Amino acid sequence: MATGARIPMHIDPVLTLAQWLSPAYPVGAFAYSHGLEAAVEAGGVRDGATLKDWLATVLWHGAGHNDALLLAAAWHAETRAELDRIDASARAFAASRERLLESAQQGTAFCIVTGAIWDGGFADYTYPVAIGAAAAREALPLPLTQAMYLHAFLSNLVAAGQRLLPVGQTEGQAMLRRLTARIPALAEATAKGDLARLSGTAFLTDIAAMHHETQTTRIFRT
Amino acid sequence: MRQQGSLKCLFPRRDGPTLDAVLVNTAGGLTGGDAFSIAARAGAGSALTLTTQAAERAYAARSGETARIVTRLDVASGARMTWLPQETILFEGCALKRRLTVTLAPDATALVVEPLVFGRRAMGEELRAASLDDRIEIRRAGKPLYLDAMRLCGDIAAQLDRPHVAAGARALVSLVHVGPDAEARLAPLRAMLPRSGGVSLIGDDVLALRLLAPDSHALRQVLIPALTLLTGNPLPRCWMT
Repeated sequence: MATGARIPMHIDPVLTLAQWLSPAYPVGAFAYSHGLEAAVEAGGVRDGATLKDWLATVLWHGAGHNDALLLAAAWHAETRAELDRIDASARAFAASRERLLESAQQGTAFCIVTGAIWDGGFADYTYPVAIGAAAAREALPLPLTQAMYLHAFLSNLVAAGQRLLPVGQTEGQAMLRRLTARIPALAEATAKGDLARLSGTAFLTDIAAMHHETQTTRIFRT
Repeated sequence: MRQQGSLKCLFPRRDGPTLDAVLVNTAGGLTGGDAFSIAARAGAGSALTLTTQAAERAYAARSGETARIVTRLDVASGARMTWLPQETILFEGCALKRRLTVTLAPDATALVVEPLVFGRRAMGEELRAASLDDRIEIRRAGKPLYLDAMRLCGDIAAQLDRPHVAAGARALVSLVHVGPDAEARLAPLRAMLPRSGGVSLIGDDVLALRLLAPDSHALRQVLIPALTLLTGNPLPRCWMT
Protein backbone atom coordinates (compact mmCIF):
# COMPACT_ATOMS: atom_id res chain seq x y z
CA MET A 1 0.00 0.00 0.00
CA ALA A 2 1.59 3.22 -1.13
CA THR A 3 -0.01 5.53 1.38
CA GLY A 4 0.30 9.05 0.16
CA ALA A 5 2.91 8.29 -2.51
CA ARG A 6 1.06 10.20 -5.20
CA ILE A 7 -0.37 12.94 -3.08
CA PRO A 8 1.17 16.18 -4.30
CA MET A 9 2.44 18.09 -1.35
CA HIS A 10 5.32 20.32 -0.55
CA ILE A 11 7.17 19.60 2.63
CA ASP A 12 10.18 21.60 3.76
CA PRO A 13 13.35 19.43 3.45
CA VAL A 14 14.21 19.96 7.10
CA LEU A 15 10.90 18.40 8.10
CA THR A 16 11.35 15.33 5.88
CA LEU A 17 14.81 14.83 7.38
CA ALA A 18 13.47 15.44 10.88
CA GLN A 19 10.98 12.64 10.24
CA TRP A 20 13.53 10.19 8.77
CA LEU A 21 16.14 10.84 11.43
CA SER A 22 13.82 11.08 14.41
CA PRO A 23 14.19 8.38 17.09
CA ALA A 24 10.52 7.63 16.31
CA TYR A 25 11.32 6.54 12.72
CA PRO A 26 11.26 2.75 12.96
CA VAL A 27 14.88 1.83 12.20
CA GLY A 28 15.53 0.74 15.79
CA ALA A 29 18.59 2.95 16.32
CA PHE A 30 18.15 2.72 20.10
CA ALA A 31 19.17 -0.96 19.98
CA TYR A 32 22.72 -0.23 18.79
CA SER A 33 25.58 1.16 20.87
CA HIS A 34 28.33 0.95 18.18
CA GLY A 35 30.52 -0.98 20.61
CA LEU A 36 30.11 1.58 23.42
CA GLU A 37 28.65 -1.07 25.69
CA ALA A 38 31.89 -3.09 25.43
CA ALA A 39 34.02 0.03 26.01
CA VAL A 40 32.00 0.72 29.17
CA GLU A 41 32.39 -2.84 30.39
CA ALA A 42 36.16 -2.71 29.84
CA GLY A 43 36.33 0.58 31.75
CA GLY A 44 37.70 2.72 28.91
CA VAL A 45 34.49 4.77 28.99
CA ARG A 46 33.46 5.41 32.59
CA ASP A 47 32.10 8.96 32.94
CA GLY A 48 31.03 12.04 31.03
CA ALA A 49 34.56 13.10 30.07
CA THR A 50 35.58 9.69 28.69
CA LEU A 51 32.23 9.33 26.92
CA LYS A 52 32.73 12.66 25.18
CA ASP A 53 36.22 11.69 24.05
CA TRP A 54 34.91 8.34 22.79
CA LEU A 55 32.15 10.12 20.83
CA ALA A 56 34.60 12.64 19.34
CA THR A 57 36.89 9.78 18.26
CA VAL A 58 34.04 7.89 16.59
CA LEU A 59 32.78 11.10 14.97
CA TRP A 60 36.07 12.22 13.41
CA HIS A 61 38.10 9.02 13.03
CA GLY A 62 35.42 6.37 12.66
CA ALA A 63 31.83 5.97 11.53
CA GLY A 64 30.95 9.67 11.78
CA HIS A 65 33.45 10.62 9.09
CA ASN A 66 32.98 7.48 7.01
CA ASP A 67 29.18 7.41 7.10
CA ALA A 68 29.15 11.07 6.09
CA LEU A 69 31.38 10.18 3.12
CA LEU A 70 29.26 7.18 2.12
CA LEU A 71 26.07 9.22 2.46
CA ALA A 72 27.53 11.94 0.23
CA ALA A 73 28.76 9.39 -2.33
CA ALA A 74 25.26 7.90 -2.49
CA TRP A 75 23.69 11.37 -2.76
CA HIS A 76 25.92 12.17 -5.77
CA ALA A 77 25.44 8.76 -7.45
CA GLU A 78 23.73 8.95 -10.81
CA THR A 79 22.94 5.32 -11.47
CA ARG A 80 21.66 2.31 -9.60
CA ALA A 81 24.90 0.48 -10.48
CA GLU A 82 26.91 3.26 -8.83
CA LEU A 83 24.77 3.03 -5.70
CA ASP A 84 25.26 -0.75 -5.65
CA ARG A 85 29.04 -0.25 -5.79
CA ILE A 86 29.00 2.31 -2.98
CA ASP A 87 26.88 -0.01 -0.86
CA ALA A 88 29.25 -2.93 -1.52
CA SER A 89 32.14 -0.75 -0.33
CA ALA A 90 30.16 0.23 2.78
CA ARG A 91 29.59 -3.43 3.64
CA ALA A 92 33.21 -4.43 2.98
CA PHE A 93 34.43 -1.52 5.10
CA ALA A 94 32.48 -2.59 8.21
CA ALA A 95 35.07 -3.23 10.91
CA SER A 96 33.29 -6.16 12.56
CA ARG A 97 30.29 -8.44 12.30
CA GLU A 98 28.16 -6.29 14.61
CA ARG A 99 29.17 -3.08 12.85
CA LEU A 100 27.88 -4.61 9.63
CA LEU A 101 24.70 -5.71 11.40
CA GLU A 102 24.14 -2.21 12.77
CA SER A 103 24.47 -0.54 9.39
CA ALA A 104 22.67 -3.24 7.38
CA GLN A 105 19.69 -3.68 9.73
CA GLN A 106 18.98 0.03 10.08
CA GLY A 107 19.38 0.41 6.33
CA THR A 108 16.93 -2.40 5.61
CA ALA A 109 14.38 -0.96 8.02
CA PHE A 110 14.78 2.53 6.56
CA CYS A 111 14.37 1.26 2.99
CA ILE A 112 11.21 -0.73 3.82
CA VAL A 113 9.44 2.12 5.62
CA THR A 114 10.60 4.88 3.29
CA GLY A 115 9.83 2.82 0.20
CA ALA A 116 6.26 2.29 1.44
CA ILE A 117 5.57 5.96 2.14
CA TRP A 118 7.56 7.88 -0.45
CA ASP A 119 7.94 6.67 -4.05
CA GLY A 120 8.63 2.95 -3.81
CA GLY A 121 11.51 0.97 -5.27
CA PHE A 122 14.18 1.47 -2.63
CA ALA A 123 16.90 -1.15 -2.80
CA ASP A 124 18.19 -2.73 0.37
CA TYR A 125 21.17 -0.55 1.24
CA THR A 126 23.24 0.04 4.35
CA TYR A 127 21.99 2.95 6.46
CA PRO A 128 24.16 5.87 5.27
CA VAL A 129 23.86 4.78 1.62
CA ALA A 130 20.07 4.44 1.96
CA ILE A 131 19.77 7.91 3.53
CA GLY A 132 21.97 9.49 0.86
CA ALA A 133 20.06 7.82 -1.99
CA ALA A 134 16.66 8.72 -0.51
CA ALA A 135 17.69 12.33 0.13
CA ALA A 136 18.85 12.72 -3.47
CA ARG A 137 15.55 11.33 -4.76
CA GLU A 138 13.60 13.77 -2.65
CA ALA A 139 15.94 16.60 -3.71
CA LEU A 140 16.95 17.28 -0.12
CA PRO A 141 20.14 19.31 0.27
CA LEU A 142 23.27 17.31 1.01
CA PRO A 143 24.84 19.41 3.83
CA LEU A 144 21.58 19.39 5.76
CA THR A 145 21.13 15.64 5.21
CA GLN A 146 24.68 14.93 6.40
CA ALA A 147 24.33 17.25 9.39
CA MET A 148 21.06 15.74 10.53
CA TYR A 149 22.33 12.20 9.98
CA LEU A 150 25.42 12.91 12.11
CA HIS A 151 23.33 14.64 14.74
CA ALA A 152 20.98 11.64 14.98
CA PHE A 153 23.98 9.29 15.17
CA LEU A 154 25.54 11.27 18.02
CA SER A 155 22.26 11.82 19.82
CA ASN A 156 21.57 8.08 19.77
CA LEU A 157 25.01 7.30 21.19
CA VAL A 158 24.69 9.97 23.90
CA ALA A 159 21.42 8.31 24.89
CA ALA A 160 23.16 4.90 24.88
CA GLY A 161 25.88 6.37 27.10
CA GLN A 162 23.27 7.66 29.51
CA ARG A 163 21.73 4.22 29.79
CA LEU A 164 25.13 2.64 30.48
CA LEU A 165 26.78 5.26 32.69
CA PRO A 166 25.94 7.62 35.51
CA VAL A 167 25.74 10.54 33.06
CA GLY A 168 22.79 12.81 33.67
CA GLN A 169 20.38 14.30 31.12
CA THR A 170 21.84 17.79 31.37
CA GLU A 171 25.42 16.58 31.08
CA GLY A 172 24.47 14.41 28.07
CA GLN A 173 22.74 17.27 26.27
CA ALA A 174 25.63 19.65 27.00
CA MET A 175 28.01 17.09 25.47
CA LEU A 176 25.75 16.74 22.44
CA ARG A 177 25.66 20.50 21.97
CA ARG A 178 29.45 20.77 22.03
CA LEU A 179 29.93 17.91 19.58
CA THR A 180 27.16 19.24 17.32
CA ALA A 181 29.13 22.46 16.86
CA ARG A 182 31.71 20.52 14.83
CA ILE A 183 29.22 18.69 12.60
CA PRO A 184 29.09 21.31 9.80
CA ALA A 185 32.89 21.14 9.42
CA LEU A 186 32.71 17.36 9.12
CA ALA A 187 29.88 17.57 6.58
CA GLU A 188 31.88 20.04 4.53
CA ALA A 189 35.03 17.90 4.67
CA THR A 190 33.13 14.87 3.35
CA ALA A 191 30.70 16.60 0.95
CA LYS A 192 32.31 15.32 -2.25
CA GLY A 193 31.75 11.72 -1.21
CA ASP A 194 35.23 10.75 -2.43
CA LEU A 195 35.58 7.19 -1.16
CA ALA A 196 39.37 7.39 -1.58
CA ARG A 197 39.14 9.41 1.64
CA LEU A 198 37.60 6.59 3.69
CA SER A 199 39.70 6.13 6.82
CA GLY A 200 39.11 4.16 9.96
CA THR A 201 41.59 4.93 12.71
CA ALA A 202 39.35 4.70 15.78
CA PHE A 203 41.09 1.38 16.32
CA LEU A 204 40.14 0.69 19.91
CA THR A 205 36.49 1.49 19.28
CA ASP A 206 36.53 -1.08 16.46
CA ILE A 207 38.25 -3.64 18.69
CA ALA A 208 35.66 -2.99 21.42
CA ALA A 209 32.91 -3.62 18.85
CA MET A 210 34.53 -7.03 18.24
CA HIS A 211 34.65 -7.74 21.98
CA HIS A 212 30.95 -6.97 22.24
CA GLU A 213 30.22 -10.15 20.25
CA THR A 214 31.09 -12.25 23.28
CA GLN A 215 29.92 -9.90 26.02
CA THR A 216 27.65 -11.91 28.32
CA THR A 217 25.58 -9.14 29.92
CA ARG A 218 24.30 -6.78 27.26
CA ILE A 219 21.32 -4.55 26.61
CA PHE A 220 22.39 -3.43 23.12
CA ARG A 221 22.66 -5.46 19.91
CA THR A 222 26.09 -3.95 19.16
CA MET B 1 59.19 -13.79 -12.99
CA ARG B 2 60.22 -10.25 -13.88
CA GLN B 3 62.09 -7.87 -11.62
CA GLN B 4 63.39 -4.37 -12.06
CA GLY B 5 65.05 -1.75 -9.86
CA SER B 6 65.86 -2.27 -6.20
CA LEU B 7 63.12 -4.79 -5.49
CA LYS B 8 64.18 -8.43 -5.93
CA CYS B 9 62.49 -11.71 -5.34
CA LEU B 10 64.19 -14.83 -3.98
CA PHE B 11 62.93 -18.39 -3.74
CA PRO B 12 64.69 -20.09 -0.83
CA ARG B 13 64.44 -23.84 -0.95
CA ARG B 14 62.28 -25.33 1.70
CA ASP B 15 60.71 -28.72 2.01
CA GLY B 16 56.98 -28.48 1.83
CA PRO B 17 54.06 -28.29 -0.49
CA THR B 18 54.00 -24.51 -0.89
CA LEU B 19 56.25 -22.11 -2.74
CA ASP B 20 57.87 -19.42 -0.61
CA ALA B 21 58.95 -16.22 -2.25
CA VAL B 22 60.94 -13.59 -0.36
CA LEU B 23 60.88 -9.96 -1.46
CA VAL B 24 64.09 -8.04 -0.90
CA ASN B 25 64.40 -4.28 -1.13
CA THR B 26 68.10 -3.90 -1.92
CA ALA B 27 67.87 -0.14 -1.33
CA GLY B 28 67.11 -0.88 2.35
CA GLY B 29 64.02 1.32 2.50
CA LEU B 30 61.82 3.78 0.72
CA THR B 31 61.66 7.51 0.56
CA GLY B 32 59.60 10.15 -1.21
CA GLY B 33 59.37 9.61 -4.95
CA ASP B 34 60.09 5.88 -4.76
CA ALA B 35 57.48 3.77 -6.50
CA PHE B 36 57.35 0.03 -5.96
CA SER B 37 55.00 -2.23 -7.79
CA ILE B 38 54.52 -5.88 -6.89
CA ALA B 39 52.30 -8.29 -8.79
CA ALA B 40 51.97 -11.99 -8.06
CA ARG B 41 49.59 -14.70 -9.14
CA ALA B 42 48.90 -18.07 -7.55
CA GLY B 43 47.79 -20.33 -10.41
CA ALA B 44 44.95 -22.82 -10.17
CA GLY B 45 45.39 -25.21 -7.24
CA SER B 46 48.74 -23.75 -6.17
CA ALA B 47 49.89 -22.30 -2.85
CA LEU B 48 52.14 -19.27 -2.69
CA THR B 49 53.58 -17.55 0.38
CA LEU B 50 55.07 -14.10 -0.08
CA THR B 51 57.12 -12.51 2.63
CA THR B 52 59.90 -9.94 2.98
CA GLN B 53 63.50 -10.55 3.96
CA ALA B 54 63.47 -7.72 6.48
CA ALA B 55 61.19 -5.06 7.85
CA GLU B 56 60.42 -2.41 5.24
CA ARG B 57 61.42 1.11 6.20
CA ALA B 58 59.67 4.27 5.09
CA TYR B 59 62.20 7.06 5.60
CA ALA B 60 61.73 10.81 5.67
CA ALA B 61 60.54 12.20 2.36
CA ARG B 62 61.29 15.60 0.92
CA SER B 63 58.38 17.97 1.16
CA GLY B 64 55.64 17.12 -1.31
CA GLU B 65 57.10 13.76 -2.31
CA THR B 66 55.40 10.49 -1.48
CA ALA B 67 56.70 6.92 -1.56
CA ARG B 68 54.23 4.58 -3.23
CA ILE B 69 53.79 0.83 -3.06
CA VAL B 70 51.19 -0.85 -5.21
CA THR B 71 50.71 -4.58 -4.70
CA ARG B 72 48.34 -6.74 -6.72
CA LEU B 73 47.80 -10.37 -5.82
CA ASP B 74 45.71 -12.62 -7.97
CA VAL B 75 44.57 -15.97 -6.59
CA ALA B 76 43.15 -18.49 -9.08
CA SER B 77 40.63 -21.25 -8.52
CA GLY B 78 41.51 -23.58 -5.67
CA ALA B 79 44.71 -21.66 -4.95
CA ARG B 80 45.93 -20.28 -1.64
CA MET B 81 47.80 -17.00 -1.19
CA THR B 82 49.64 -16.08 1.99
CA TRP B 83 50.75 -12.44 2.07
CA LEU B 84 53.02 -12.23 5.04
CA PRO B 85 55.42 -9.28 4.87
CA GLN B 86 57.40 -8.36 7.95
CA GLU B 87 56.66 -5.03 9.60
CA THR B 88 56.67 -1.79 7.72
CA ILE B 89 58.39 0.73 9.98
CA LEU B 90 57.44 4.37 9.55
CA PHE B 91 60.15 6.93 10.29
CA GLU B 92 59.71 10.58 11.22
CA GLY B 93 58.97 12.67 8.15
CA CYS B 94 57.89 9.76 5.96
CA ALA B 95 55.09 10.05 3.42
CA LEU B 96 53.85 6.63 2.36
CA LYS B 97 50.94 5.67 0.18
CA ARG B 98 50.16 1.97 -0.23
CA ARG B 99 47.54 0.02 -2.09
CA LEU B 100 47.19 -3.72 -1.63
CA THR B 101 44.56 -5.38 -3.82
CA VAL B 102 43.88 -9.10 -3.62
CA THR B 103 41.59 -10.66 -6.20
CA LEU B 104 40.20 -14.06 -5.32
CA ALA B 105 38.58 -16.70 -7.53
CA PRO B 106 35.33 -17.94 -5.92
CA ASP B 107 37.00 -20.93 -4.25
CA ALA B 108 40.42 -19.40 -3.59
CA THR B 109 41.66 -18.89 -0.04
CA ALA B 110 43.98 -16.28 1.40
CA LEU B 111 45.75 -15.03 4.48
CA VAL B 112 46.64 -11.35 4.30
CA VAL B 113 48.73 -9.77 7.04
CA GLU B 114 50.09 -6.21 7.28
CA PRO B 115 52.07 -5.26 10.40
CA LEU B 116 52.86 -1.56 10.85
CA VAL B 117 55.19 0.14 13.29
CA PHE B 118 54.72 3.86 13.97
CA GLY B 119 58.26 4.83 14.95
CA ARG B 120 60.71 2.63 16.82
CA ARG B 121 59.84 3.28 20.43
CA ALA B 122 62.96 1.55 21.79
CA MET B 123 65.06 4.08 19.84
CA GLY B 124 63.05 7.00 21.19
CA GLU B 125 61.62 7.73 17.75
CA GLU B 126 58.21 9.36 17.47
CA LEU B 127 56.19 10.40 14.43
CA ARG B 128 55.46 14.10 14.88
CA ALA B 129 55.20 14.99 11.20
CA ALA B 130 54.53 12.06 8.89
CA SER B 131 51.82 10.74 6.64
CA LEU B 132 50.37 7.35 5.84
CA ASP B 133 47.64 6.60 3.33
CA ASP B 134 47.09 2.85 3.42
CA ARG B 135 44.40 0.72 1.85
CA ILE B 136 43.78 -3.02 1.67
CA GLU B 137 41.05 -4.34 -0.58
CA ILE B 138 40.16 -7.99 -1.05
CA ARG B 139 37.76 -8.70 -3.90
CA ARG B 140 35.89 -11.80 -4.94
CA ALA B 141 33.52 -12.26 -7.85
CA GLY B 142 33.79 -8.60 -8.78
CA LYS B 143 32.78 -7.39 -5.33
CA PRO B 144 34.77 -6.08 -2.38
CA LEU B 145 34.90 -8.65 0.39
CA TYR B 146 37.08 -6.66 2.80
CA LEU B 147 38.10 -3.05 2.68
CA ASP B 148 40.35 -1.31 5.14
CA ALA B 149 41.64 2.22 4.84
CA MET B 150 43.67 4.33 7.20
CA ARG B 151 44.88 7.86 6.64
CA LEU B 152 47.06 9.39 9.30
CA CYS B 153 48.79 12.70 8.84
CA GLY B 154 50.74 15.15 10.98
CA ASP B 155 51.40 14.36 14.63
CA ILE B 156 50.64 10.64 14.36
CA ALA B 157 52.11 9.91 17.82
CA ALA B 158 49.61 12.30 19.44
CA GLN B 159 46.74 10.70 17.52
CA LEU B 160 47.81 7.21 18.57
CA ASP B 161 48.06 8.35 22.19
CA ARG B 162 44.33 9.15 22.31
CA PRO B 163 42.61 6.65 24.61
CA HIS B 164 40.08 5.37 22.06
CA VAL B 165 42.38 5.48 19.04
CA ALA B 166 45.33 3.37 20.15
CA ALA B 167 45.95 4.36 23.81
CA GLY B 168 49.65 4.85 23.16
CA ALA B 169 50.28 1.75 21.03
CA ARG B 170 52.92 2.08 18.30
CA ALA B 171 52.45 -1.23 16.48
CA LEU B 172 49.37 -2.51 14.72
CA VAL B 173 48.52 -5.47 12.58
CA SER B 174 45.60 -5.99 10.25
CA LEU B 175 44.96 -9.62 9.36
CA VAL B 176 42.33 -11.19 7.12
CA HIS B 177 41.78 -14.89 6.64
CA VAL B 178 39.50 -16.10 3.86
CA GLY B 179 38.68 -19.79 3.78
CA PRO B 180 36.08 -22.41 4.71
CA ASP B 181 37.75 -22.83 8.13
CA ALA B 182 37.27 -19.16 9.09
CA GLU B 183 34.49 -19.81 11.59
CA ALA B 184 36.40 -22.67 13.22
CA ARG B 185 39.40 -20.37 13.73
CA LEU B 186 37.41 -17.66 15.50
CA ALA B 187 37.31 -19.05 19.05
CA PRO B 188 40.97 -20.19 19.23
CA LEU B 189 42.13 -16.80 17.90
CA ARG B 190 39.94 -14.92 20.38
CA ALA B 191 41.50 -16.91 23.19
CA MET B 192 44.99 -15.81 22.10
CA LEU B 193 44.29 -12.09 21.97
CA PRO B 194 44.89 -9.51 24.69
CA ARG B 195 42.33 -6.71 25.30
CA SER B 196 44.13 -4.63 22.70
CA GLY B 197 43.14 -7.07 19.97
CA GLY B 198 39.91 -8.26 18.44
CA VAL B 199 38.73 -10.73 15.83
CA SER B 200 35.41 -11.02 14.04
CA LEU B 201 33.77 -13.20 11.41
CA ILE B 202 32.77 -10.45 8.98
CA GLY B 203 31.52 -12.92 6.34
CA ASP B 204 30.68 -16.62 6.28
CA ASP B 205 34.28 -17.45 5.36
CA VAL B 206 36.02 -14.16 6.17
CA LEU B 207 37.74 -13.46 9.43
CA ALA B 208 39.21 -10.05 10.27
CA LEU B 209 41.63 -9.46 13.12
CA ARG B 210 43.16 -6.28 14.42
CA LEU B 211 45.73 -6.05 17.15
CA LEU B 212 47.55 -3.15 18.79
CA ALA B 213 50.74 -3.44 20.84
CA PRO B 214 53.22 -1.05 22.45
CA ASP B 215 55.94 -1.99 19.92
CA SER B 216 56.85 -4.54 17.26
CA HIS B 217 58.32 -6.98 19.77
CA ALA B 218 55.11 -7.13 21.78
CA LEU B 219 53.11 -7.37 18.56
CA ARG B 220 55.08 -10.41 17.41
CA GLN B 221 54.57 -12.19 20.72
CA VAL B 222 50.88 -12.43 19.92
CA LEU B 223 51.04 -12.42 16.12
CA ILE B 224 53.45 -15.31 15.62
CA PRO B 225 51.34 -17.89 17.51
CA ALA B 226 48.23 -16.60 15.74
CA LEU B 227 49.89 -16.99 12.34
CA THR B 228 51.17 -20.44 13.19
CA LEU B 229 47.62 -21.44 14.11
CA LEU B 230 46.23 -20.06 10.86
CA THR B 231 48.86 -21.43 8.48
CA GLY B 232 49.42 -24.75 10.24
CA ASN B 233 53.10 -24.30 9.34
CA PRO B 234 56.16 -22.70 10.85
CA LEU B 235 56.60 -19.14 9.57
CA PRO B 236 59.05 -18.44 6.75
CA ARG B 237 62.59 -18.57 8.11
CA CYS B 238 63.33 -14.86 7.63
CA TRP B 239 60.62 -14.08 10.21
CA MET B 240 62.58 -15.93 12.84
CA THR B 241 65.97 -14.28 12.54
